[in-house]
Amino acid sequence: MRRGLVAWLLVAPSLIGVTCFLVLPVVLAFVVSLFDWDLLGTREFVGLENYAALIGGGALLNSLAVTALFTLISVPVSLALGLGLATQLHRALPGSSIVRVIVVIPWVCAPLALGVVWKWILQPSTGAMNAILGMRVEWLTSPSLALPAVAFVAVWQNVGYISLFFQAGLSRIPGSIYEAARLDGAGPWRTLIHMTVPLLRPTTFFLAVTQVVASFQVFDMVYALTGGGPQHRTEVIASLVYHEAFDAARLGRASAVAVILFVLLVAITLVQQRWFARRITYDMS
Amino acid sequence: MRTTAARSRLAGYAGTYALLLAAALLTLAPFGVSVLTALTSAGQFARQGPLSWPSPPTAENLLALLTSTDGFLTPVVVTLQMVAVILAGQMVFSVLAAYAFAMLRFPGRDLLFWVYVATLMVPQVVVVVPLYLMLSEAGLRNTFWALVLPFVLGSPYAIFLLRENFRAVPGELVDAMRIDGAGTLGLLWHLVVPLNRPILATLMLITVVTHWNSFMWPLVITSGPAWRTITVATSSLQSQYNNNWTLVMAGTTLAMLPLVLLMVIFQRQITSSIAATQLR
Repeated sequence: MRRGLVAWLLVAPSLIGVTCFLVLPVVLAFVVSLFDWDLLGTREFVGLENYAALIGGGALLNSLAVTALFTLISVPVSLALGLGLATQLHRALPGSSIVRVIVVIPWVCAPLALGVVWKWILQPSTGAMNAILGMRVEWLTSPSLALPAVAFVAVWQNVGYISLFFQAGLSRIPGSIYEAARLDGAGPWRTLIHMTVPLLRPTTFFLAVTQVVASFQVFDMVYALTGGGPQHRTEVIASLVYHEAFDAARLGRASAVAVILFVLLVAITLVQQRWFARRITYDMS
Repeated sequence: MRTTAARSRLAGYAGTYALLLAAALLTLAPFGVSVLTALTSAGQFARQGPLSWPSPPTAENLLALLTSTDGFLTPVVVTLQMVAVILAGQMVFSVLAAYAFAMLRFPGRDLLFWVYVATLMVPQVVVVVPLYLMLSEAGLRNTFWALVLPFVLGSPYAIFLLRENFRAVPGELVDAMRIDGAGTLGLLWHLVVPLNRPILATLMLITVVTHWNSFMWPLVITSGPAWRTITVATSSLQSQYNNNWTLVMAGTTLAMLPLVLLMVIFQRQITSSIAATQLR
């Protein structure tokens, strides 16, 4: 009994934190989404009107499409490049440990600060990118290029970090099976596609889930690079929540968007769990 | 036969080195040009464009940022304080909770832990509006407490990660220390914490990186120069001095330099242990 009390005392601070700053806000988000609620405190119960307005209007649909497209570009590309980089680093040639450190540097930097740096690099007339290319490209202000440009910067930031997980995964694969594949005459590409990729499935699964979830929440980098423009072409869901709440002062509408995002993320996580659980995994222990 | 094999192996090495060199250059180039621009005078930048070597290198942009009244000195101090308080609170409270979940039996333990794990799925953008309302209602908007309060009492992610690691502490060691008369907290401090130094160090680094870089919450809850963090200051610098890129690059350099240094100092710790944060 006394030990139970001690345990509850140990858990108490974090329980207060989780209750007040995670569980209660989630409940509150659902409640606020049912109100017409502005920043000054006037509030009126409107039921599901915010949801109806969002589904009827174009903003939510646009943000869902933008976020999905951003995810579809950035996650597969950064996973593929991260795996490629990891296979090269895994050869452990002399000097590669320096590269291993260098490629992780962007991951420790604030996405906001990196976004500002890249905003300058991609400026049409004063930026470094166009100075190198010798052309004038409107990377961040042209409606068709802005989203791919934002996704490119996100990939640039994440590849090194992702490669760390693939390197750890590669180091768990016993070298003997590569030896066997080599003796059977399998070339490097066949070994990669038919052995390395399937054997890395647990790592790939972990990275796919966390990267999809993270990219559905992307905010800082978009805020710095484009602020959601041009013509809302990079208005990801988190930007929409921010703009609805703190520019348009429609807290109810913003909360409805947040609730939809939350439901969507839970659904995505569950679907991914099921999809990957059905695939074969190899026990290497 | 042997020479062709050796030659193809040599070609393989050359290919790997070419790829690694390209990766290193592509990673470093943006940092390089931004630091060079931060060291270029505004006049030279206007005359010669973005890719000119600073001649002579000047500290005028950095000094202007640090000495002006609405400059970067206050945000650096605020961010340091915020990170220190959150780091101390999160480590202490997360370790205590993880220890209870991993090694003590108490009624409701498994249900409570399930709730903690479920909160891992809550995105920050979902709680930002309600948190803003709650802390504004409490009169804490634009205060230091608003910056730290939502995070200082521990994080479910840290608790989850630590619990996984604490459970690996051998039961025989625990029993041996119990027999020697160690109490609950004695076991934690003299056995569990020393055995888990690597994961604790990793978690500290992740916490510092996360909160030094955090942007959305400080952006929402602070206003004006008194309590803004370094990321918020960098953002407003960019919108305030839209085309003064030498000054803006000085700002991003100051915002990123401390963590890049931290990364270089703890490189082995970081590159070898981040993968250990993979949740299963």
